[in-house]
Amino acid sequence: MKRLQLWLGIALVAGVVLTAAVSLVWTPFDPIRVVPGQRLLPPGWPHLLGTDGFGIDIVSRLMVGARLCLLVGVISVSLAAAVGVPLGILAGQAGGWVDEVVMRLSDVVYAIPAVLLAILLAAGFGASTVTAMVAIGVATIPAFARVARAGTLQVMASDFVLAARSSGTSPLATAGRHVLPNVAPLVGVQASVTFALAILAEAALSYLGLGTPPPTPTWGTMLRDAQSYVYTDPLQALWPGLAIALAVLGFNLLGDGLRDHLDPRLREVS
Amino acid sequence: MSVLARQVARRLGIFAVTLLGASVLIFAITSALPGDLAQVMLGLDASPEALAALRAELGLDRPLPLRYLAWVGGMLGGDFGISRLSGYPVLQLMAPRFAVTGWLVLFGMIGALLIAVPAGMVAALKRRHWQGFAVNALAQVGMAIPVFWGGILLVSLVAVRLRWLPANGYVPLSQDPAGWASHLVLPALTLSLVQGAVLIRYVRSAFVEVLDEDYYRTARAIGWRPAPALLRHGLRNAAMSLVTVLGLQLSAVLVGAIVVEQVFALPGLGTLLLTAVQQRDLLLVQGTVMFLVLAVLAVNALVDFSYLAIDPRQRTGESR
Amino acid sequence: MDNRASRSTRAGRRGPWALLLVLALTAVIAGCTPAGQQTTPAGDRHTLVVGATLEPASMDAFHNSAASIPQVLLYNVYETLVKVDSDGKLKPLLAQGWEVSPDRLTYTFHLNPAAKFASGAALDATAVKTGFEKLKADTKLTETLRAQAAIVASVEAPEASTVVFTLTRPSLMWLYDMSSTLGMVVDPTFTGDLATATAGSGPYTLQKLNKGTSVVLGKSPSYWGTPGRFDEVTFRYIADPNAQNAAMLSGEIDVVSNLQAPESLAQFSDTSRFSVIRGTTNGEVVLGLNHQTKALQDLRVRQALTMAIDRTALRDTVWNGEGTLIGSMAVPTDPWYTDLSGTNPYDPARARELLADAGYAEGLTLRLRVPTTAYATKSAKFVASQLRDVGVTATIEELDFNRWLAEVFTPDDAGKSNYDMTIVAHVEARDLGKFANPDYYWHYADPEFVRLFTEADESGTADQVAGMQSAVKFLADDAAAIWLFALPNLVITDAGITGIPQNATTLSFDLTTIASA
Repeated sequence: MKRLQLWLGIALVAGVVLTAAVSLVWTPFDPIRVVPGQRLLPPGWPHLLGTDGFGIDIVSRLMVGARLCLLVGVISVSLAAAVGVPLGILAGQAGGWVDEVVMRLSDVVYAIPAVLLAILLAAGFGASTVTAMVAIGVATIPAFARVARAGTLQVMASDFVLAARSSGTSPLATAGRHVLPNVAPLVGVQASVTFALAILAEAALSYLGLGTPPPTPTWGTMLRDAQSYVYTDPLQALWPGLAIALAVLGFNLLGDGLRDHLDPRLREVS
Repeated sequence: MSVLARQVARRLGIFAVTLLGASVLIFAITSALPGDLAQVMLGLDASPEALAALRAELGLDRPLPLRYLAWVGGMLGGDFGISRLSGYPVLQLMAPRFAVTGWLVLFGMIGALLIAVPAGMVAALKRRHWQGFAVNALAQVGMAIPVFWGGILLVSLVAVRLRWLPANGYVPLSQDPAGWASHLVLPALTLSLVQGAVLIRYVRSAFVEVLDEDYYRTARAIGWRPAPALLRHGLRNAAMSLVTVLGLQLSAVLVGAIVVEQVFALPGLGTLLLTAVQQRDLLLVQGTVMFLVLAVLAVNALVDFSYLAIDPRQRTGESR
Repeated sequence: MDNRASRSTRAGRRGPWALLLVLALTAVIAGCTPAGQQTTPAGDRHTLVVGATLEPASMDAFHNSAASIPQVLLYNVYETLVKVDSDGKLKPLLAQGWEVSPDRLTYTFHLNPAAKFASGAALDATAVKTGFEKLKADTKLTETLRAQAAIVASVEAPEASTVVFTLTRPSLMWLYDMSSTLGMVVDPTFTGDLATATAGSGPYTLQKLNKGTSVVLGKSPSYWGTPGRFDEVTFRYIADPNAQNAAMLSGEIDVVSNLQAPESLAQFSDTSRFSVIRGTTNGEVVLGLNHQTKALQDLRVRQALTMAIDRTALRDTVWNGEGTLIGSMAVPTDPWYTDLSGTNPYDPARARELLADAGYAEGLTLRLRVPTTAYATKSAKFVASQLRDVGVTATIEELDFNRWLAEVFTPDDAGKSNYDMTIVAHVEARDLGKFANPDYYWHYADPEFVRLFTEADESGTADQVAGMQSAVKFLADDAAAIWLFALPNLVITDAGITGIPQNATTLSFDLTTIASA
């Protein structure tokens, strides 16, 4: 069963990545060009999922949307990990007041959820993909810091690290040689879970009108547009929502599967 | 007693420090970082006189730390600033909306519990059977669904097609209790479904822990049925786990509430905030976000305090 | 220890039952509440809830150009000397009658002696004079009102119920302007803030301003004319078109004042529950061109932009085929309307040629900044796509309406407007005069057009139609702007409501004609 979870997650994530990659070179139709005569066509041929209110092929828009959702995920996760992991390792290794300061700082950032942070940034700097990515990235730094710290504490207590420290290895070298490799899997799991949250957050922000401006299609803005047609063509709302759900499901399953695979006794990390 | 006092003091200290830090962050983003605050608020075409007037009004020529202290000082006295667009004090604009968002969050959480506890129990008891797998699968799916999508689908089905409930809007409790309830059902349900899915796994693992315990096995050996035995011994364990999670999840539920308010056109803090952002009413944004963060931190602090009540181990100062 | 255990057991046993009880209660509550409210039986309706889209930022129509303000206030809270009825004809309101001097420079109005303000103060000639002089002296007046008031040379009050206006030049438009915001008479004894309170003479007064939600009007008990039919009228603002439809379907609102999602008309086909009104408005959806932008000063570029857009397809896509195609700043109900929608017809190939001629063969980038209203955002998307096909890149920026007013509509102190193209519906009647005003946000004021328009405005009734027709045609030929379509009047009401005119001839959502029977 656990195996099935992992493989399903991998399959879904691979699907999203592949779709995004393919969209860079080819989409069945132009994803932003309005085609007046082809509005609201039902699923069929050649438009497999039909067309939207502007006559644009839905499959093509979904494909481009995959691109953006991956971009946001990659950038925000990278940002969060690049800052959070070193901080967490530092806190775990140094201990004492350094640990306390890092933990309090991370509490502060953690107090403001990603979407709220994005709203703040949008108010001050105008809404865009960049503000969304920065906000989600910054807001998840604490999660990575905590995971890295927990892993570091575990590793620091182990025999070979104690031995290494007593033989004079510098903290930096210890970090690189012993801590990082052991913390990496935990970080990987957190990355997957955060990726899922990033997709949901970006979709919510796009839906609220605080994400990527038109005419670039994102799954969130597609849902927003689809609301106009919820009575005449309810299927419009189905596809982007389904895409988001499948992508999020994929990353969640991947994260869970990795966690179970690495250490079935691991406590919940969120 | 002194140990307990120390614990309380420590947690209060953490609450205060975090609150302070968050206020600095919020202030930085809305008042300190944007190039020329007055320009951002009034737009590119503002006349120099209008800009100068606004700068004087907001005290922008004063050094940053002073402005920050003035803002914090104001809030302690109940003054969250003035909304530039409407001219009303921020707190006055927020006041009628507390209840709306509050009810939504409350019922969303209650609904989530009502879904998660029975489902988690089933998932725990039947964890090796198809029912357990089915619940887990549903939980995974529930967590992946964007809350606004769920809302749109519910509106189109229940409100428009079946016409059982109103599609949007709000009626205050004091005005019409029945209308108030009927307007909150769909929004709260939307939140509950997603939150419930998130909570299921916590309930499940709390109950699963109990399944391995001696007192559970003893109870079963005596002749108790699985479900009552699990509840008798597991509910406290689950309760602790749930209280932690609910505290952590409060900010997620709040964000969900903000989005749901948009879907159902509820006049809550969420729609206030979003309108303020669109209108570049920075002081209103600043005040509203600060209030929301304050609420979340306060609830989390309360959760921490309730641990001291629930878990005797906490009182002796053992680290969590 | 035992107590807690037994408590949890009891809780445990009660758990599932509690769940069932809550579900049952919910079902009962949901069942007891009627699906929204049922249609009030004939004649019983004391309150009316009108659904509208854009919430006014203030109640001060003199300092804020948003049409949502007169929508609520005109004829309902504030009255004018004359009003325009549903056929577009001028009728008495505060003035029982009026005369125009032979040179058409002097207008003498005879006020209804019964007229008084809601405060009880008499609405006499002095009040009208004081009010208008105050308006003329107001430096913060909206640009439209300033231009309209500039024509008045003086106002006199020779007797208690006689007001005399003297104009600087003849103008047939002026009397129509006086039937709208310009002519709203404000109580001179009022000292408060017009943004948050009202001081008019109409059948209703402002009762409550619920920021973010609604504006509530209450019946004025001391009204001098026929009392208002409703005790309370609420204008409920729902920005999202779908939320507005959902509110109408579930009975939350009684009227949709103008349907923002025409594709959803079919949802209101049940004639036992709803009445659908399909008429015309004075609203031209104008893709405004900023004539301060260098590229747009070239006629070839303007023609090319017009020819690049298939306006029939746009109307079909964006407004579900509703509304009329227009080629200039006139709607079918204007006396001087002719169908100019064939001017600069859709021809992308020709558009590309013209752009190359003008020197933009490599491409052209223009900023398209639009308010977040349904017709504007959808049209913007359509326009940008079609312009892209001829090599013009239109970068879209969507602005909250109040921000749009502040950043696009209002020029900065140097008189510069911060946009290249924009899309907004101009719903005032007979508003082609705006193109004659160089300070209006389009900054057009071509001298030839100004000449044609002013001559037509000054001429006698006989020549006015022909004169205006020339002016209108000039705008079309000169591609002063791109007229996307004329907004239809799509009103949805509860089946029992009558009296809403088919065509919206004024800015007002006129409550005085509505009945529930």
